[in-house]
Formats: sequence, structure tokens, C-alpha cells
Amino acid sequence: MEALKIDGLSKQFGGVDAVNNVSFTVNVGERLAIIGPNGAGKTTMFNLINGQLSPTSGRIHFFGQDVTALPPHRRAHLGQARAFQAISLLQKLTVLQNTLLTINGTNPHRFVIFRPMKKFEDVLQKAVDILKRIHLLEKQDESVSNLSYGEQRRLEIGLGLSMDPKMLLLDEPSAGLTKEESAEIISIIKSLKTGITVLIVDHDMDMVFEVADRILVLHYGQLIADGNPEQIQTDQRVREIYMGVEDAVDYAGTT
Amino acid sequence: METIKQDKEQVRWISRSAPYLLGVSVLVITPLFLDTYGQGLMTRFLIFAFFAMSFNIVFGYAGLLSLGHAAFFGAGGYTVALLKLHYDVNLFWITAPLGMLVAAFIAALFGIIALRASGIYFLLITFALGQMLYSLAWNVKWLNSKGMQGITGISFPDLGIAVLTLDTISFYYVVLIVFVLSSALLYRLTISPFGLSLEGIREGELRMEAIGYNTWFLKYVAFVVSGAFAGLAGVLFVYYNFFISPNHLGIATSFLPMVMAIMGGLGTFLGPVVGAGVFIFVENYASILSPQRWPLVLGTLFVLTIMFAKEGIGVYLWRLWTKWSHYFGSVKN
Repeated sequence: MEALKIDGLSKQFGGVDAVNNVSFTVNVGERLAIIGPNGAGKTTMFNLINGQLSPTSGRIHFFGQDVTALPPHRRAHLGQARAFQAISLLQKLTVLQNTLLTINGTNPHRFVIFRPMKKFEDVLQKAVDILKRIHLLEKQDESVSNLSYGEQRRLEIGLGLSMDPKMLLLDEPSAGLTKEESAEIISIIKSLKTGITVLIVDHDMDMVFEVADRILVLHYGQLIADGNPEQIQTDQRVREIYMGVEDAVDYAGTT
Repeated sequence: METIKQDKEQVRWISRSAPYLLGVSVLVITPLFLDTYGQGLMTRFLIFAFFAMSFNIVFGYAGLLSLGHAAFFGAGGYTVALLKLHYDVNLFWITAPLGMLVAAFIAALFGIIALRASGIYFLLITFALGQMLYSLAWNVKWLNSKGMQGITGISFPDLGIAVLTLDTISFYYVVLIVFVLSSALLYRLTISPFGLSLEGIREGELRMEAIGYNTWFLKYVAFVVSGAFAGLAGVLFVYYNFFISPNHLGIATSFLPMVMAIMGGLGTFLGPVVGAGVFIFVENYASILSPQRWPLVLGTLFVLTIMFAKEGIGVYLWRLWTKWSHYFGSVKN
């Protein structure tokens, strides 16, 4: 079954094609990575899938439903969760408050006005469980801005998971992390239930080749390669693109 | 061990609630010893404290800077004044809910227009809409007493209790009761899931959308609720002031809750009350000392607050208190 179907998707920013006529499908449970040099349109792609941007043309289907015109919060209710690229946690609120907000987001009681948050014991319990799982329980009353960068990333991914998503969008999950912190994130992604579809955008090729079943390569907004990690590593065009840009050894794997 | 812990809990409870108890007893007892002028000043303080509190829901919690909040305040006030002027209705139980309703209605209308934008544009649109009501009040005859700008001839409200005719002091207590009940409601709102999500929107609207919140709708509800309570503040104000003019709909009045909320402590529940207290009493005494230059005193105070107690005087005082109470009351173990 298809979790996501992208059909002829384009997005222009004042004449610049950030994403240009891209089509692909993602199967349920697949670990898909989108790579490409800076400015290739990866984050724009994510914003389109997630609904933060609306496309200039093309359609997006999520589990068979056309979601092209739906705003982000509606897509969240359908089962999309996103961990952002730049740290976007609610910095001045506490770890617990961030967690509660995330749980509430897809829950009807987020509209409750005259009942204190403290009285929702099931929600509080769930928050405690999540924080235990990502080892941040003892920091629950710290404001997020006091956490280390690695802790914030962990919280961010933990929160994405707490939405019980069908599809998880991870935008550069390892950006700016140390090797150890990265490894921790990789192990979290690997421990995900097989039913969850995961889309990853990242520069860290170690991570991408480790967790992805399939890789898409974007270049100037166009899809230029699509295949499993081995195919991508040996793909001539991909090697050309990366060769001139950055450390070719890492990216192409062989030379 | 157990008793030490209990003692500690007790001390903590006392040190926590002492400022509140002090505040409440000041509000309840002092007016009895004041002359009518002082009582009026206290009434004014409560009304603006409440106005600033309602404003704080949109600005402090949801992070939306509205520069047209006087529109709702004035709408509440004008409703009362017009009911008196044209229909001779002065029964509090009719005028107050109607005032709130009209204010909420106008907020609902303005909200649809203003909340399409955010940030500076939201500010400008709310400002423009507020000024629209202001000029309407200037130019429409029906909205003014004969031969003047504004509406006069208003007196204390009729509570529908035959033996009770209000005077300055009893009106103060009416305002106090309304103040306490409504701020309790607003407090419940701020600690609810809804209140928390407003803070979430203030901190990062995009994220809130991505995790499932219809942020537009939440902001809209906050705007309307805040408008309704600002309207209630306006209702009380007209009964206190006996007079309302277009100025009470305009930018000059819109600035007041903003300055009070910032001075007292944005996004904290009681900060705006402290801010309103400082503002109203300094305004009063400064204008006695120097009838022409009192805004200078207020302005200086505002700047000093921004420089030395950035988070607000209320927050500053609270910190000071927790520090002190630590010296006095903490049980050593």
C-alpha cells in the first residue's frame, strides 16, 4: 500500500523552481531518505508534504486521500508528524509543557477551556511515559532553552513519535550532533515500529545509508536518482554532483 | 524526617500565599478608611487591572499585539451609555451582559479581518479598526448626548435590589466582586489545555500547526473572549466615570492596557494587575504634583522598568519576595 504519492509536484518562488515536477511514491513502512546538495529543494519538498507550503502545481496523496489543499494541522490529524530542522521546540516552555502540547494536539480536549491541565491525568501519565523513554524525565520542569542541543533533538524526535504517527518526517535529525548523539538518534529511528513510514532529509550520509531502505536524490529541484543505497552509491550522475561539491569519498563511498 | 517535611510544606504554603492574602485584604479593607476620592481611585485601579488582564490573554499569552483593544472596552461602555440615554435602562443584570455581548460581537467581526495577518500587520489592522469606531463615535449623532461629544448623565447601576442604592463605596465592592469572579474565570482559562496552547502559539506557531492545532481558530477564540472581558471592563468604567467619549475607543485608551501589562509582567497572570496598580497610582499622584508634566513621570518609570525589571515589576517583586521569605521562613535541616 502507498503511504504517500507525489504526483508532478512543483513549487516556484518568484520564478525559481525550488521543486520541479517531482513524482514518487512511498510504501507503508518504508524508510526513505531524500538527499541532495544545499538548495536542492529538500526542505521545500518537506514543507510541501507537511502542508507548510502549498504547491504551484501537482497533487499529494496521503494513504489514498488527496491532501494537497489541507492545512498542516489537518494533515497532523491524518497521521503525519514532523520533527523540524532548525530547533523549533517551544523554547521558553518547559519540557513537560512541550510534551503535553504535543499529546493534546491530536486530541479533542485541546479545546477545553475551563478545566485545568493538571486534571487530565491520562495525558500527564502519557507525557511521563514518553519522557521516560527518551531519558528526559528528570528534566521535565526545565525550560527547553536550558537543554543541550542533543537533548533538544532527542526531545524533538520523541515528541514526533508521541503523536503515534503513520508517517514521520525527520528534517536533518542529526544536524549539529556529535557522533555519539547521532548514534543515539539512529538507534531511536531503527527501533521504530515497522508500520511507521519514515522520511528523512539529511546531509549526514552515514546516517542516511544506515537507516534508509531507499534514497531519492534531488538536484536543483529535480529528481535525478531513485534507488536503494547501493544503487545510489554507484550512480554516475549522483557521483558527478557530489564530486565537485564536498568530500567525495564519503558520499560516493568507493573512490 | 516526616515532620520536618511537613513543616517545610507548611512554610512553603504560607510564604507562597502571603502576598495573595495581603493583596486581598488590602483590596477588601482599605477602602473603608479612604475618602470617596480614594475609593474612586481604587475602583479605577480594579477596572484597569481587569482591562489589562483581558488584554494580556491576547498579547501576553497568545503573543498577538492588538492596538485596538479600546474598541472592545469602549463598545462595552457605549452599550451601557446608549441603553441609559435612549432606553433609560440601567439594570446591571441587563446592561453588563449586553455590553459584553456587543464587545464580543465586535471582537468576532474584527478578529475575522485582523487575524488574517500577523505581527506588525495585525497590529496595524487592529489599530485601524479601532480608529474606525472612534471616528464613528465622533460623527454619528445617535452615539452622542445632545450638543456634545460623548454621553453624559450616567449614574451608578441599578442592581434590582430595592433597598440597595449604590454609592461610591458600595459600587467599589460591586466592582471588586465582578473583578474577583471574572479573573477567577480568566485564571481557569490560562491553566487549561486551551491556555497552554495559546502559550504554545506565542512560542512557535508553525510548530503548533505541525502538531495538530488549528492555530487560527485558537487565536480567534482568545481574541473574542478577551474582547468580551475588555467589554466588561468598559461597562464598569462607564459606571465609575459617569461619562464616555470617543477617546475611550481610540488609540490613547488602547495604549493603557499594553503599558500596564508590560510594566507588570507580560504573560504572567497577575502581572498586569501590578502594572495597573503602579500606573494608576503614579498617574494620580504625579498629576497632583505636576498637573502638566505627569506623563513625563510615567514615561520615566516605564523606561526604568524596561531597563531594570525587564520581565515586569510584578515578576520582579515576586522574585524579591521568594528571596526574602527564604531568609525568614525556611526550616533548616
